[in-house]
Amino acid sequence: MPVFRWGNAWDAFRDLEREVDRLMGSMNFTPQGVRLGRTFPAVNFYEYEDHFLLTAELPGMTKSDLDLSIAQGVLTLKGDRRADEVSDNNYRRSERYRGQWQRNLNLPDRVIEEGLKAELVNGLLKITLPKAPEVTPRQIPIQEGGE
Amino acid sequence: MNEMNNELVPQNDPERMVPATSEAPEQRLLFTPPIDIYESEEGLVLVADLPGVTLENLELQVQDNKLTLFGRVNRYVPEGMLGQHEEYGVGDFLRSFILSDEVDHERINAKLNNGVLKVVLPKVERTEPRKINIDEGE
Repeated sequence: MPVFRWGNAWDAFRDLEREVDRLMGSMNFTPQGVRLGRTFPAVNFYEYEDHFLLTAELPGMTKSDLDLSIAQGVLTLKGDRRADEVSDNNYRRSERYRGQWQRNLNLPDRVIEEGLKAELVNGLLKITLPKAPEVTPRQIPIQEGGE
Repeated sequence: MNEMNNELVPQNDPERMVPATSEAPEQRLLFTPPIDIYESEEGLVLVADLPGVTLENLELQVQDNKLTLFGRVNRYVPEGMLGQHEEYGVGDFLRSFILSDEVDHERINAKLNNGVLKVVLPKVERTEPRKINIDEGE
């Protein structure tokens, strides 16, 4: 005797899901998860007790292609990602970022600018920014107005 | 689309979680790396962005007519952070491609440089048509 169960009610849905997956799988469009159409480079920022850590994905970049600077709490990363010299006609697929790029990052806290350390290994940039010691709050005297 | 199907077809490897194994109990993220494919005199060239992947952690495999690249990225951010803002996830890279018969599987070569993988897929050299002698039957 067939008894209705909620568990079975989903089977049809799963069939549909599978069918749609199969259809999608047979199409040749850009797969999801491809890191496309987003800011280059992507940057991650982490805060630790006494420092910040910034990481960025810069595959193919070398030290000489990269320019880092810091001024007034803004860290600027810029560079040029050169592509192989290939005529556009020869491209079958082009998903990788090409050309010049720049990122200006507002730092959330004061850092010791002289203490910045950066390394670029296997296309990953890591910048360590030591936090500046807490500045003691300075009282601002308020003068009484009027005569 | 058909033209591309002839030679090198990127497979859809949707972003998904890799099932945890006993040696790696933590769940690892998996991403599809961006690629370029272009034609050159040497053959087709495939370029993939694999930041953080080292030579030891890269597997490149051809099985039947499927080329698969898998790059492992070990977690490089120390624990104990107080806060974080992430624009990208840290995880492994996987993508596979269907090669056409035109690719000479034996002569595929690859280089990894600063997190960029470059695979050259030379075309099979066309052999001259050979005349077949036909003997006259008796």
